[in-house]
Amino acid sequence: MLLEAPHNAGEVHSILMNTDENAEPLEPPKKGAATKALFEEQALQYMDQLYAAAMRMTRNPADAADLVQETFVKAYQAFGQFQQGTNLKAWLYRIQTNTFINNYRKNQRNPYQGTIDELEDWQLGGAESVTQHTSTRSAEAEAIDHLPDSAVKDALQAVPEDFRMAVYFADVEGFSYQEIADIMKTPVGTVMSRLHRGRRMLRELLAEYAADRGIVVPVAASKGSTK
Amino acid sequence: MTDCGCDKAKAELEEFLHNELEPMDAADVAEHMANCTDCTHEHLVGLTLTQKVRAACQEQAPSELRDRVLSALKD
Repeated sequence: MLLEAPHNAGEVHSILMNTDENAEPLEPPKKGAATKALFEEQALQYMDQLYAAAMRMTRNPADAADLVQETFVKAYQAFGQFQQGTNLKAWLYRIQTNTFINNYRKNQRNPYQGTIDELEDWQLGGAESVTQHTSTRSAEAEAIDHLPDSAVKDALQAVPEDFRMAVYFADVEGFSYQEIADIMKTPVGTVMSRLHRGRRMLRELLAEYAADRGIVVPVAASKGSTK
Repeated sequence: MTDCGCDKAKAELEEFLHNELEPMDAADVAEHMANCTDCTHEHLVGLTLTQKVRAACQEQAPSELRDRVLSALKD
């Protein structure tokens, strides 16, 4: 199918509608077949990524699948507003983030929501001390590298949602700060702050996990207890 | 700028890692790291963290989800 400007899909649509007089009088679809084909071709390829992000948002497969389905339905309805040539994946993520906030976050509201960006680091659970003790850093990298995926996922889930998703968008998807700002509807400065704090917390949690498992001791031992 | 650039480099490592620095600033950080084991290790921790998160977050959507979405689009 054609991957041209958005108008083309519309043009194809109107041509089909206006000139194909011999066609059976089907009930007029809400969108043209060309639009649907274009959407399927361009958007559905991101299903795995959207699902992975939805898993990090909702924390369970059933809700994640529902969220992804709803995201695609909304994106399809709004597809006429999508500007071809801009980042479709980021656009889909924006819809998914919005859908999640409106439909799901209500159900799992936590008392910090909305104010999490203003909390001091100590209120989030000491994540300050990680940057000390230079001699242990290569050991720290090695310890993190040896952790199982399940430990990384658990640690991510323990990071507050806005921080977690900033980390996700930057580190898993490789979005720029500006793209993340657009997806999360927040200033770039807030993105940076969420990303830094999210990654610091993650690093701390993984260091604790590694120390608990005896994978490596120096990092946690040198910074003292954190809980 | 071999031994007195640590504060600047450390402050910018996250942005360096995420490719958010202007080319000149990125070159400064890279040059500093070439001569600073400490910052190089710090960067390594950051890189490792990114790689681990990326690897851990790979998911495959359930196969029936595609069919669900396709039929939902028909409405």
